[in-house]
Amino acid sequence: MFYQPTDMAEALRLRAELGPEVVTVCGGTDVVVAMNHGVARPEAFLDLSRVAGRDSVERVNGIYLLGGGVTFAQMAKLPVRALAEAARSVGGPQIRNVGTIAGNLGTASPAGDGSVALLALDAEVELSHVERGSRWVRLEEFFLDYKRTALQPDELITRVRFPSDFESVWYKIGKRGAVNISIVCCAIGRSPAGAYRIALGSVGPVPMRAMEAEAVLNGDSTDAAHRAVAYLADEVIERAAEAAELEAAPIDDQRSSARYREAMCRVLVRRLLRELRDG
Amino acid sequence: MSGRAFGTQTPAAPPREKEHVLPTEAPITPSPFAEKVRGPVGRSCDKIDGVERVTGTKLYGADLIAREADLHAKVVRSEHAHAEVVSIDTKEALRVDGVLAVLTAEDVKGTNRHGLIRRDHPVLAKDRVRYRGDAVAIVVAKTEQAAAAGRDAVKVEYRVLPTVESIEQAMAPGAPHLQPGGNVMGGRRIRKGDADSALADSHVVVSETFRTQTVDHAFLDVEAGVARWDGELLTIRVSGQWVHEEARLVALALGLPVERVRIIQPAAGGAFGGREDISIQIYVGLAALRFAGKTVALRYDRAESMRARHKRHPMRIEYAMGADREGRLTAAKVAIYSDEGAYASTGIAVCRKMSSHATGPYRVPHVRVDVFGVHTNNNPTGAMRGFGATQIAIAYEGMMDRLAAKLGVDRVEFRRANLIRPGDAVTTGQVVPSPTAVECLEAVLRQYGSKSMPSEPLPTHLRRGWGVSVICFGMGYGDGFPDASRARVRIGADGCVEVYSGIVDVGQGAENVIAQVAAEEMGVGLEHTRVITADTHMTPESGSCSATRSTFFAGNAVRLAAGELKEKLLDAAGELLCVHPNELEFRGEEIRGRFDEGLCCSLGELVAAARKRGYELEAEALFKPRTICEDFETGQSPRAFITYMFGAHVSQVLVDVETGEVRVERHVACHDVGRAINPEAVRGQITGGVVQGIGMALMEEVVYRGGRILNPGFTDYILPTVRDVPPVECVVLESNDPLGPYGAKGVGEPPLIGAVPAVLSAIYDATGKAPATLPCNPERVWGMLTGS
Ligand SMILES: Cc1cc2nc3c(=O)[nH]c(=O)nc-3n(C[C@H](O)[C@H](O)[C@H](O)COP(=O)(O)OP(=O)(O)OC[C@H]3O[C@@H](n4cnc5c(N)ncnc54)[C@H](O)[C@@H]3O)c2cc1C
Repeated sequence: MFYQPTDMAEALRLRAELGPEVVTVCGGTDVVVAMNHGVARPEAFLDLSRVAGRDSVERVNGIYLLGGGVTFAQMAKLPVRALAEAARSVGGPQIRNVGTIAGNLGTASPAGDGSVALLALDAEVELSHVERGSRWVRLEEFFLDYKRTALQPDELITRVRFPSDFESVWYKIGKRGAVNISIVCCAIGRSPAGAYRIALGSVGPVPMRAMEAEAVLNGDSTDAAHRAVAYLADEVIERAAEAAELEAAPIDDQRSSARYREAMCRVLVRRLLRELRDG
Repeated sequence: MSGRAFGTQTPAAPPREKEHVLPTEAPITPSPFAEKVRGPVGRSCDKIDGVERVTGTKLYGADLIAREADLHAKVVRSEHAHAEVVSIDTKEALRVDGVLAVLTAEDVKGTNRHGLIRRDHPVLAKDRVRYRGDAVAIVVAKTEQAAAAGRDAVKVEYRVLPTVESIEQAMAPGAPHLQPGGNVMGGRRIRKGDADSALADSHVVVSETFRTQTVDHAFLDVEAGVARWDGELLTIRVSGQWVHEEARLVALALGLPVERVRIIQPAAGGAFGGREDISIQIYVGLAALRFAGKTVALRYDRAESMRARHKRHPMRIEYAMGADREGRLTAAKVAIYSDEGAYASTGIAVCRKMSSHATGPYRVPHVRVDVFGVHTNNNPTGAMRGFGATQIAIAYEGMMDRLAAKLGVDRVEFRRANLIRPGDAVTTGQVVPSPTAVECLEAVLRQYGSKSMPSEPLPTHLRRGWGVSVICFGMGYGDGFPDASRARVRIGADGCVEVYSGIVDVGQGAENVIAQVAAEEMGVGLEHTRVITADTHMTPESGSCSATRSTFFAGNAVRLAAGELKEKLLDAAGELLCVHPNELEFRGEEIRGRFDEGLCCSLGELVAAARKRGYELEAEALFKPRTICEDFETGQSPRAFITYMFGAHVSQVLVDVETGEVRVERHVACHDVGRAINPEAVRGQITGGVVQGIGMALMEEVVYRGGRILNPGFTDYILPTVRDVPPVECVVLESNDPLGPYGAKGVGEPPLIGAVPAVLSAIYDATGKAPATLPCNPERVWGMLTGS
């Protein structure tokens, strides 16, 4: 059974009416894989791929506003480096053409490339309910635990927003050049005021921020002027990288050992901070 | 700039389009002694069934199911790597709506065993299971869903036995015996000269332990097909690699006379050795026998295909090699332990391929090799492209790099100085008919260009390097094993040349080769030939599509048959036209008088005339060259293989020394194929082999834990993508084999064999560390570089 609303109001009404056994689907690149693997056998779907305006991209007052149905192919063209590079690293062209940011957040995989990039960009996600209206949730509060989020069963992810003036960088380590699940990925954002945000993928149950590493860079001070906007000494970078290695909490799995992932947190944080510094 | 060399991002512009033209343009180096050809031999031609394949009109196993299936079967498999089967309870399964039957070992009327060399693999396990893919029962139902539900409802009670996970565990004292003779299945050896004292006397000696991984064939077209029993004949349409042997194995296992089993090959989407061991043929045949007049279907999904099928042998290779002060190889001492998994499959032949290729294309006076095949509770291992010659090449080429470094000499010079030349012998003592190792090496270096490493400065974490490999490969089964091909050629009612051959086209283009050979020999155009292959009741036995033998064997058989048919045709034409046959000659699709243009008849007319008198214009021929069994004590034979192929590769890589990521930037491959009958197909085989070789070198690996495959799908069984393989630069060398059809040798396996060590050699060159464990995925390379 397919419900295919064409506008968001209708979609939200259906979401609130239908039970949780009706699965929200956007690009289907996670949902269909789960079905193929027999993990889930949903009987009915709420398909958002026809909702008008689902894939709108706006930039208003220094804020990017992306509809939940924005695809990786669309994000790949944005002048937001970490997000664009993360998007380009996803799957192959077919997946990038249908896979969406709402789906990436909805799946909440620790290896979700879009999620990791957005976390470094200080993004918020809009969760909407037909009656309760919408609420904006910061990504660090959105990801609760392994593949669990703050999304209620009667809500939809409608939009994502983040400041447009961050500088950002991205790197993903995988086993091959495309269709490549990250072994470790890292995104770092820097606000115009010089505050760093470091996000790591595949090193914990959810996309995580390396708070200790950020603290090394940002200090305790909230005084923007105090921050090292200007110059990051190698020694500071090294301490931040080390902190990232220590706070990462990866597991061993068939893709990689925890030790390698920890070591790569250090390598990537060091490399990306230098890249931000040296341009 | 930022050192973003690694390919996890898509560049904005489409890459490499211009370069792509280059490699395919590389000219063929023809042999000056090559036989003259006038027809299609030596010209690239499109795949005969290419249009049907890409437009969906050619039927694969799964297409047959969609069109014809009446009933569906599913296989109940062991949940344990090693266990006794205590009981099988089918009651609940039989209650599932749509389930018609559950078949167990009791229902198998024949030997209930199969196996290409040793028949040790139960079709349905009766009292013991030895790996997680072992089949226990077959469920037959009206629909595929019902069959799956029935499969899940079969209750098998097991008594779990300890799992033997590795070669080391299997050989440890007190290990449970997996086969009656113990865990060492068998082995082979080489004793040539006195390797121990030669090593002791050597100026330098290097030793290393190499470990190769389990590799899956990963052909796209997973096992699928149909069977039907009409009360007289069991017809099975499933893709394999040797239809006649499959018929014998099915007949034996199910207790039928072989004449009652007909195997017809549907279109196959790849094989790589993965269809050599029988797959679903016996299961679907067994199910069909129970339901006469119904077409029964069986197919695997990717996960079942990976769990059930045999794999490439993972090996531990302990290699010591010495050289004298002048940089000449003195001796090699090699011990190889090969994980055979639960059943023998072709393992013993793989052991022998390892021993007979232990020193590759190099002159080594003293050689001692011991190969042991060892049973474990992992998947059975068997044929895969290279058949053991792949793994051993990683070792001997790895040794060449290490020895050159220790001697402080250039690795290319070192190879040049030790490669076999005319009159030299390989490991088995056989003096190779046309040793072109040096020519391949020179050609590959020429194409690569001596100064072609880009010299732009790299960021500190990136290193560039290039590597080289030279390999050899004995063609055909060899070792005195009967190796034969038959073919029949006839003129059809429309005057077309019809070729009947049992050889299987698994997608590589064997059908093209035999069509080209027939057309060339008969002097007709390719459009006047028709090829009928791989049907046990229509086509004469041609042996397997394996061992890089199809072109050589099937090609020769077709050529001989066509030659005979030509004589018959001239005879018949002479009779028809009332002249001596010597007065006549072939002109395309006609026979004409040599001197009298007025004498003329078409092939069609000849056939019509012959048929009127009650006979067919056809000829059948057998090609059966002999090899000589290797001495069991010494491994020596003057003719272990009919001929040898050679190849050389250069690979250029970029290594991120901080993350361990490796990217192949360029790959050049030169192969001596004797004669390229269809050059574009030859380049296709070389390119594909390199792709698979890069996969094996860098990423592919089946991971087991406790006999369970952790990555039975393409999410985590990592195959190379188009972003991981540069356009392969193919250099085709022709040496004109004296026995090959028009001088052809073959090309299937060697390109993969050469690719793997070249990539490893390049990593060594880039980083100063020589890899010994495969695959060189980022974590392993990082571990090697940091000592972690
Ligand atoms: C071959 C392949 C390669 C891939 N490679 C990558 C990769 O490199 N990196 C990566 O990060 N991911 C990858 N993925 C995973 C997948 O493509 C991404 O997670 C993608 O973002 C999912 O988006 P979708 O629209 O297809 O999601 P769907 O499959 O439609 O949905 C995913 C989840 O989100 C929920 N959902 C979707 N939309 C909404 C909404 N509006 N409101 C509430 N819930 C919603 C669904 O219910 C579901 O739980 C790959 C997948 C495949 C098949």
